[in-house]
Amino acid sequence: MTQTAAIFLDAYRELNARKLFWITMILSGLVVAAFALIGINEQGLRVIVWDVPFPLTTELMSETTFYKTMFVSFGIGFWLTWIAAVLALVSTASIIPDFISGGAIDMTLSKPIGRMRLFLTKYLTGLLFVGLQVTVFCVASFLVIGFRGGAWEPGLFLAVPVVVLFFSYLFCVCVLLGLLTRSTIASLMLTLLFWFLIFALHTTEGTLLMVKFTQQQQLENQVSSLKHDREILAAMHEGDSSQENIARHETRIAEREQDIQRAETVKGRLDTAHRITMVVKTALPKTSETVNLLERWLVDAADLEPHDEMDDEFAAYEADPMETAAQQLTDEIRDRSVWWIIGTSMLFQVFVLGLASWIFIRRDF
Amino acid sequence: MKANGNHTIDLHDVKKVYRGKIHALRGIEMQVHRGEIFGLLGPNGAGKSTLVKIMMTVVRPTTVKGTMLGRPIGHKPTLEQVGYLPEHHRMPQYLTGRQVLHFYGALAKVRRAQRNRRCDELLDTVGMSEWANKKISSYSKGMLQRVGLAQALMNDPELVVLDEPTDGVDPVGRRDIRDVLVKLKDQGKTVFLNSHLLSELEMVCDRVAILVQGRVSQFGTIDDLTRESRRYEVVIDGLLPDGVLGSFENARSESLPNGTTQVVLPGTEASDVQPLLDTLRQQKLTIVSVRPMRESLEDLFMRAVMDPTTGKALGVGAASNGTSAKGASA
Repeated sequence: MTQTAAIFLDAYRELNARKLFWITMILSGLVVAAFALIGINEQGLRVIVWDVPFPLTTELMSETTFYKTMFVSFGIGFWLTWIAAVLALVSTASIIPDFISGGAIDMTLSKPIGRMRLFLTKYLTGLLFVGLQVTVFCVASFLVIGFRGGAWEPGLFLAVPVVVLFFSYLFCVCVLLGLLTRSTIASLMLTLLFWFLIFALHTTEGTLLMVKFTQQQQLENQVSSLKHDREILAAMHEGDSSQENIARHETRIAEREQDIQRAETVKGRLDTAHRITMVVKTALPKTSETVNLLERWLVDAADLEPHDEMDDEFAAYEADPMETAAQQLTDEIRDRSVWWIIGTSMLFQVFVLGLASWIFIRRDF
Repeated sequence: MKANGNHTIDLHDVKKVYRGKIHALRGIEMQVHRGEIFGLLGPNGAGKSTLVKIMMTVVRPTTVKGTMLGRPIGHKPTLEQVGYLPEHHRMPQYLTGRQVLHFYGALAKVRRAQRNRRCDELLDTVGMSEWANKKISSYSKGMLQRVGLAQALMNDPELVVLDEPTDGVDPVGRRDIRDVLVKLKDQGKTVFLNSHLLSELEMVCDRVAILVQGRVSQFGTIDDLTRESRRYEVVIDGLLPDGVLGSFENARSESLPNGTTQVVLPGTEASDVQPLLDTLRQQKLTIVSVRPMRESLEDLFMRAVMDPTTGKALGVGAASNGTSAKGASA
């Protein structure tokens, strides 16, 4: 316990000594201050004491909901999971390369503490950075929503474990790369690349799903039309339609059958592509879905309107007639189990940390 | 697995092969007695630091038998009783000297109350009390060594392992560090010293081992190792008459440029030289000086690291498959 406490205290002192830690903290404070300075009233936005005409008024949304939505959409969805996360990675990427650098590691390894414990404790100290940042941000947001919005929502503090969890997916990769490359810059760049790749995979999977649902809709429409055409043809046979009309209608049915066959082939390929994407995705951490879980939970815990990233990404689709497909997509993503999202991401993390620990334990310094 | 009660360190068959080809250590056999100051010497690449790092669990040995403080090498809890100052150590720059001692003390499982007490004592011992609350980043190399030594002593260890402790330290600091080592010895602690500064080692070490290309080349007390070279040098005024040394088989003489003559007589005891002095006096020769001499540690070291066939120093670096190669740290 003495040793663990010492490592955490040292980590705090190290963070404290980093300018970037305080810069990020100040920026977090500014973001919350910006929340506090902006409000809505019956005319639109109110910035400090000035009224700015804006379509969003208290007639459309209560002030409480406005602040909560700001917290979830901007505070969590943008600030904590993008900007602050990048700053946190920049700040913590050097933890392992510094820790294993010549002269420093000898001092620590020669103490009566197991390598595995030492390594995992050091990993946890990296999460301390984000933990402190998110906690401060949530406390400030809690106060702003309480005082300005008039609602005291302890559910906002769900953001602390969720954002730390989200960051831990990336940090475990950063730690492994730091151990392998011994370089802060290399581990940081490669982690950002990894993050970009899983984000690209997430977007690809969403796009494939959307196209798949659209194709499904079109196929259903074509099958329905074919059924209708066949009924008409049957009526034509029974009635007194000319052979020429019947022949033309039969040609149309044949064309439609070919279209359906083609559409089924395309759908089959899309299914295969989506399945492959999902297999790859299952093995990797799900950063976006993890953060979206927070929004899902906050809907219940803090009575918030959901703000789904996928809604934004496919806003264009929603606007066109394939609204059903867009709705299916939203439902599909929302219906994904928490255990699949967090469980498989944690499995990835356990694997990466296990590998990193194994390397650390076996390495000569 | 208890070892011989007199041995703080008892090493057998310590081998380390890096990447399957660089043989840093080739079967080290070494014993360090309880309560002594032991010096480990060797040229660069001899495997000194590798050996120390194996003892301190920083490097994993290829094979090792033996004990440290009665427990197998690599037994982590034993390190609670061991203090270590590595070569080229790097302490957290954002900490003050006092915080460094607390941090490494806590890692060594020293309780807070004891840390508070030891901190003040040790900072005073190494002469860093006035700098205790200043950041490490503002320290000179000598100051870092002093604080490094203090952190190695935080857990009041039974065994202190110091790798180049006087590196970058000025003469006053070196003397202070030597005094600390002697004080530790007086308290019954064992000190294992790894250094290039042979004169430093000579002043404090009870026994030494010289490592050359991953093997122990010489091992024992400095007196034992230099016994063969012990002699008396007698300087007389003027030239030595012929035949005076006839009855002294191993004696030899040499005329010096200042008009004196030096007579060298091998021997370890003062009684060995008395017959020669009596003979010289009988010859009415003026004896200017009589000095007992022996080979210095540096001479011993140079003899150990020289290839007797070529007369050149043995290759730098750990041997790779029988030939010398660079690669392992020393």
